[in-house]
Amino acid sequence: MLQIRNLHVSIDGQKILRGIDLDVQPGTVHAVMGPNGSGKSTLASVLAGRDGYEIEQGSVTYNGQDLLDMDPEIRAREGVFLAFQYPVEVPGVTTMYFMREAVNAVRKHRGEEELSAGEFLKLAREKIGPLGMEADMLKRAINEGFSGGEKKRSEIFQMAMLEPRLAVLDETDSGLDIDALKIVADGVNSLRSAERSFVVITHYQRLLNYIVPDYVHVLSEGRIELSGDKDLALELESRGYGWINDDVVPQAVAGV
Amino acid sequence: MPAIADRADVYLERFNDALARAAAEPTWLLERRKRAMERFLQLGVPSLKHEEYKYTDLSALADGQLLFATRPGSAEAALPSYVAGGASDAGPQVLGRVPQGARVQSLAEALRAEPDLVQRHLATIADYEDHALCAVNTAFFSDAVVIQAERGAVLDEPIQLVFGDGPQGSLPRVLIVAGRNSSVQVVETYAGSGAYWRNAVTEIHAEENARVDHYRAQVESLDAYHTGRLQASQQRDSYVSSFSISFGAAVARNDIGTRLNGSGCECSLDGLYAVRGDQLVDHHTSIDHAMPHCNSHQLYKGVLDDRARGVFNGKIFVRPDAQKTDAVQSNKNLLLSDQSEVNTKPQLEIDANDVRCTHGATIGQLDSEAAFYLQSRGIGANRARNLLTYAFAADALERIKVAQLKEHFESLLLNRFASQES
Repeated sequence: MLQIRNLHVSIDGQKILRGIDLDVQPGTVHAVMGPNGSGKSTLASVLAGRDGYEIEQGSVTYNGQDLLDMDPEIRAREGVFLAFQYPVEVPGVTTMYFMREAVNAVRKHRGEEELSAGEFLKLAREKIGPLGMEADMLKRAINEGFSGGEKKRSEIFQMAMLEPRLAVLDETDSGLDIDALKIVADGVNSLRSAERSFVVITHYQRLLNYIVPDYVHVLSEGRIELSGDKDLALELESRGYGWINDDVVPQAVAGV
Repeated sequence: MPAIADRADVYLERFNDALARAAAEPTWLLERRKRAMERFLQLGVPSLKHEEYKYTDLSALADGQLLFATRPGSAEAALPSYVAGGASDAGPQVLGRVPQGARVQSLAEALRAEPDLVQRHLATIADYEDHALCAVNTAFFSDAVVIQAERGAVLDEPIQLVFGDGPQGSLPRVLIVAGRNSSVQVVETYAGSGAYWRNAVTEIHAEENARVDHYRAQVESLDAYHTGRLQASQQRDSYVSSFSISFGAAVARNDIGTRLNGSGCECSLDGLYAVRGDQLVDHHTSIDHAMPHCNSHQLYKGVLDDRARGVFNGKIFVRPDAQKTDAVQSNKNLLLSDQSEVNTKPQLEIDANDVRCTHGATIGQLDSEAAFYLQSRGIGANRARNLLTYAFAADALERIKVAQLKEHFESLLLNRFASQES
């Protein structure tokens, strides 16, 4: 589904990613961990198509297509979803309006019928309930005045509405208390399927107790230094990130 | 000022006609008109050299042709949906029923019914001594709408006035007197077709603990000049809000002000302007904090495209007695093109020491992070920009409490900014 090959990325001339290789197969959950400044969020941003990043080398192939060549909205319509680390407040646009517009843009792209207002509302109510949010949230401006936890749950709600094929969660767990974390994890787990893949970027192992990954990768100084299964996350939890560069010979292509 | 005297011929000629027409008016009113004419002849139509008009070229109005030789054309097509079909040519153009506890009268009716009240307030609130455009209106207006809210009357429906091509034509005049403990909402809509100059004046007198919510929706012809003055005078514990919507006219200049004459007063002066092409929209606001413990809020937002220009000047006076004043002013502008421009200037004169006055102005482009957020959900780049523009503008409309008015302008904004597919 997703192949990242030797990806080098810089921002304002400063190198952030220094040769990332990652393969994500359909139906798998990959956790990407790493210390602050290791390039985790840059990786997420590059996958979603945020401006301001210079791709110096390498390629990203998504379902056989050059992902880096697509505009952000096309990536989204093709099924790539980024749950933002810092969801943006957009005063004046209700979540309802925004999501209906987005869902219909995706449906149209897939050659499906657009949803009527009634159909949309029904779907939205179905998806929002399990996240512990009131349907009233739909009438509020996007993320405006939301608490940190509400913003993250809103991201998961949007993901549930858009039904992506590849979801990238950028530190969706940071700042969440344990109850909110469980709600978010349940939201993610309920979307797991044989066709849908996740890249879960996190600083902490805690989230991975609830979203159990198939693979764990450790990002350090712009490279994937180490890959393993879920036990690697536990090891990182007990030993910290400090030992990675010193003790371990980097493994080659991760995942598969 | 010979240049003005030469060009004022047509004003002088017309003034004699106006006086003849107004012969039946009481002496005090005729005296006020004469004084206003005198002041106008001394002041002349403000030129670009006038500090208060340095961005707003009104030279086309100097000779009076646009005022006297043209009239606003029928605005049927341009009338907002919330007034469509309701405008009447007879008398004050009031839409719908007048709510219980309110009176809406023509000048002649009001002079018969309440001569003292009219004398006390008409042409005493909006200053014409130093305000040439107000002087022109005062000298020449042919009729006025006099709105009274009775003491204690809480009016649940807005009173709607439409100034299209009706009898008040180019010189609308409105007086709103809100009695003690009353509450009234007034919506004034200005719309027309063709090239003309409309020069409107509204005065508001809010008695103790009265509440007045005033809306002016300016959707004039894009060939028109619109100059408007709204001046309020507030007694203690009263509340006045003004919302100025300015979408129309080639050149629009609004002067909106209030004097807080008693303690415990509050006022909100808000507005939204959305202009494009070669339009110019100029708002000058003035809040005079004369007494202690009064609050004022101002939020003006503007969206400017093409070569459009915006001007905002917000004056706040805090007089020596006005301790504990709390005044907040904000002007936010969104420029959609390289050639659009805004000149914004807060002007605070503070003569008291225990006050809080804040002001801020922003002129910027769309938030690219918000645009990316929308795009990352599948919404096209243009569409995202349009939605954000809509959102920026529609946010200001949240302050409008008259639902049909708010909805109308929301849908107008939607059509303008958010209807394009992409």
